[in-house]
Amino acid sequence: MSQIKNMKQMERKLQRADRKQSRLYLFCNFTALMIISAYSALMLSPTVQKVFPKGGDSAKQMYAIFVMTLVGCVVFTIYALGLFFRHKSGQLGILMALGASRKRLAPGLYREVIFLSGVSAAAGTVSGFPFVWVIWHAFRLLLVDSSDMALTFDFRCLFISLLFLLLVVGFACLTAWRYLKKTNIMEVIREEHINEPVKELGRWCGPAGFLLILAGAVLGYGAPWACHVWFSTYPPAWVSVFYAPVFVGLYMVMLHTVVHGWKSHRKNPYKNIISRSMMKFQGKQTVNNLLVVTLLVAGGCFAIFYLPTNCVSAMVRYASQPYDYFYKYQVDQDVPDRETVEALGREYGLTFKEWNECDYVTLGIGGNTSVFEEDGLHYHTEYVPMVGEAKILSEDAYQTLTGQQADVKPGTYMNLTNQEESFFYTNESAKELTNMTTRKQLATEFAGFLHYDLLTEDIPCCVLDNGDYAAISEGLTDDWRGRFVGFNVDGKDSYPFADAFYHLFVSAFDESCERPRYYDRVQKIRENEAGIEYWGDTDDFTVISYELSDAFAFRQNWVYQPDFRILNQNDYLRSMAVMFMMFLFIFIVCMITALVVCHTRCQSIALNNRYIFDDLKKLGASPAFLDKEVRSQCSNVFKVPSLVGMTAMFLLFSMILYANDGRMLMTEWAAMGVCLGIIAVIGCVIYAVYRSTVKVIRGQLGIV
Amino acid sequence: MLYVKDLYKSYETGKNKYEVLKGIDFQVAQGEFVAVMGPSGSGKTTLLNCISCYIPFDKGNIRLGSMELAGMNEDALARVRNTKIGFVFQDFMLLDGLTIRENILVPRIVQGEVKEEAEKLADQLADMFGIGHILNKYPAEISGGEKQRAAVARSLINNPLIILADEPTGNLDSKSSRAVIETFGNAKEQMKATIFMVTHDSFAASFCDRVILLKDGTIYRQLEKAQERGAFQDQLLDAIKKMGQED
Repeated sequence: MSQIKNMKQMERKLQRADRKQSRLYLFCNFTALMIISAYSALMLSPTVQKVFPKGGDSAKQMYAIFVMTLVGCVVFTIYALGLFFRHKSGQLGILMALGASRKRLAPGLYREVIFLSGVSAAAGTVSGFPFVWVIWHAFRLLLVDSSDMALTFDFRCLFISLLFLLLVVGFACLTAWRYLKKTNIMEVIREEHINEPVKELGRWCGPAGFLLILAGAVLGYGAPWACHVWFSTYPPAWVSVFYAPVFVGLYMVMLHTVVHGWKSHRKNPYKNIISRSMMKFQGKQTVNNLLVVTLLVAGGCFAIFYLPTNCVSAMVRYASQPYDYFYKYQVDQDVPDRETVEALGREYGLTFKEWNECDYVTLGIGGNTSVFEEDGLHYHTEYVPMVGEAKILSEDAYQTLTGQQADVKPGTYMNLTNQEESFFYTNESAKELTNMTTRKQLATEFAGFLHYDLLTEDIPCCVLDNGDYAAISEGLTDDWRGRFVGFNVDGKDSYPFADAFYHLFVSAFDESCERPRYYDRVQKIRENEAGIEYWGDTDDFTVISYELSDAFAFRQNWVYQPDFRILNQNDYLRSMAVMFMMFLFIFIVCMITALVVCHTRCQSIALNNRYIFDDLKKLGASPAFLDKEVRSQCSNVFKVPSLVGMTAMFLLFSMILYANDGRMLMTEWAAMGVCLGIIAVIGCVIYAVYRSTVKVIRGQLGIV
Repeated sequence: MLYVKDLYKSYETGKNKYEVLKGIDFQVAQGEFVAVMGPSGSGKTTLLNCISCYIPFDKGNIRLGSMELAGMNEDALARVRNTKIGFVFQDFMLLDGLTIRENILVPRIVQGEVKEEAEKLADQLADMFGIGHILNKYPAEISGGEKQRAAVARSLINNPLIILADEPTGNLDSKSSRAVIETFGNAKEQMKATIFMVTHDSFAASFCDRVILLKDGTIYRQLEKAQERGAFQDQLLDAIKKMGQED
């Protein structure tokens, strides 16, 4: 006798039988929610939030890639849902044809989709936390660990996952409702076989797409510059629309891939005609999927390229600095003197050589600054006599410290920059220097550059004629006076010494020096005197604390942060760990999402065209031929978006590095070389997933 | 039993409109076995889909028993499909996850709780059509002919007013085709079933009482079976040949 007595029991049995069909949907839902919940958990965790400066470029990049990942997840979730319903529609159609009304089918169908979507989404959301915890701790265990990296969660991030979960369940119900609403039952039954061809464009669309991508990149990158130069205005947010041609171009490139492919078919128009046609008739979704994968691969590359471009230049800078230990301090601070440092060095078996130190003063320097017009949009450049701070050395002090001779004429100043003259914080427009204690001024003018990397920082550093230096620094109080010290280790350096010295050094400063490098005392005085509150004294200002002297924010921003080569070399990754690991995590998430989209798309192309493969078999196609067709389909899905995404990001990074100062430095060439290596590794991973996808599809289509 | 009057149906593809049925009129009496034949594109399947309310039609009337189908709401149409019409598809349309017995019972399950009486009827139908031994098997485990006979049994489980069959032998070999057609014959004889079948197959059509020939969306000719089956098949083939020559 039959075990099935009613609709509910029948639906349950059919669901059990359809487990295979549901698996892909469950997998996609689970993966999407896991990725979203893991990304949002990490992105909004206090661990990351305290490291990424609010409104900074890194934070913006992190949010932008999150949005991209979100779009990717939405696309593949909706697509997996579509696939699930394509299979389900046959069953629904039969039941409708046999007289099941909408009301009769609705409860079971809604129950099934809500259960599948809800359970997979909830499981994904919950798994996001262990997922991020495991990856983060793997980073800590295998790559780098620091006190900054202690992972804590702000569970408000669940709000994003919850929204996505509701979207998944809501969209599943909406799709179910859409199917139930259909009056043409034959359409429901045949749904699985309905094609979705894309509107064809000529063979020009691919090359035109590449041109548009290029044009969009140049326009998008150049638009902010044009705002400054041509319109004297800060670029508004909408200026990003100039990047729009990039997306149109990408669409056209993907369309070309789907419709025409990239090989010429003139000689043999029948070559690969089956795989091209298969792809073309699933065109709409394929193009959308390829587009999303391209963006995800590009996002992943953008994140991962951040590491070498930052690391390589920093490592080269540390390796080439002329002093093992270089630091500065205000003379009113009780900083360990040479004897104390040498005594500490002896405790670690170190002796020092080439010990050099010299005085400097901090003065107010004149210069051009941007002043907003009344409309709040445009600005003009205005000369201000005390635009900000400048560190000033005499010719003799400069020679003592650097060993270089500086011949500075009275009434002039020479500005320090790095060897490549690629440094931004120079001042070539000063007409006077101001003693901030006596307010005495010295007329001066720019006389050229001197080059010394260690003296280039956010505050301009200048060298004056010995006489001018003595005259302008007369009467200056100690809080405006400072000292540069540099020395080398005789023999092999010791990290424990550097660490001990660093902490001793930091502990010597009082709270008057507990400020970041971009806190400008001259600007504060000028603005306060004009009745304006200095922005550095407002709540939004990033406060730093001696108690967190090992933290990323402190080491990046403290005004007297010393340059200890061995400390920087060893602690660089550790102090930048959270930022780097976040970008590494973003890369992993983007790549997982992209690979899941590719895998799903390949599966859907294969499953939707199962009948074509069956027909081809009947027409005598050999397994080798069928295998070639499968590989050709999958290769287009994996290859083109990966190549376009990776190449676009490589070119964009090269363009950014070049556009920074109009040339490529050795460190930048080295960084791009590393990026190329990373591309090769990513390519291998993508190839491995492609192979595994082909194997799965071969099994599904029964190609032996 | 079935009255079709002035039936029109068209499809739209983009800006193009294709008229498929152009004013079809015919009747099927109770207990009659009627076939519709015609070349591809003549509108056979569209006619069947309109009668079974699977697709909406543009204009005209379809009356099944005392019920006028045009203007019925979705729930009422579903009830008609479930209780008054039995449908047999070319590609069987059995549910792969259910056994053959369960497939036969699906229209009853859709109706509500399955009682013992329904299960007995399913077994009787299966025995009548020679598939009693495969009732606990799944569709993937049986032949095409057996699948189609199971589909015929399913179409009869609710004792409908009419069975609508769309190319029921289209996917079968000649032996299975004959078995399926004989199944229809049994249903007509033993259960007084009314059958309306679309087919390309003159052999299958030759078992019917009457054959309607469709051409370009209109009824070209109707042929009554007044002789033995073989001669009627010859008559059908002649009529089809003549219809082709008129183009």
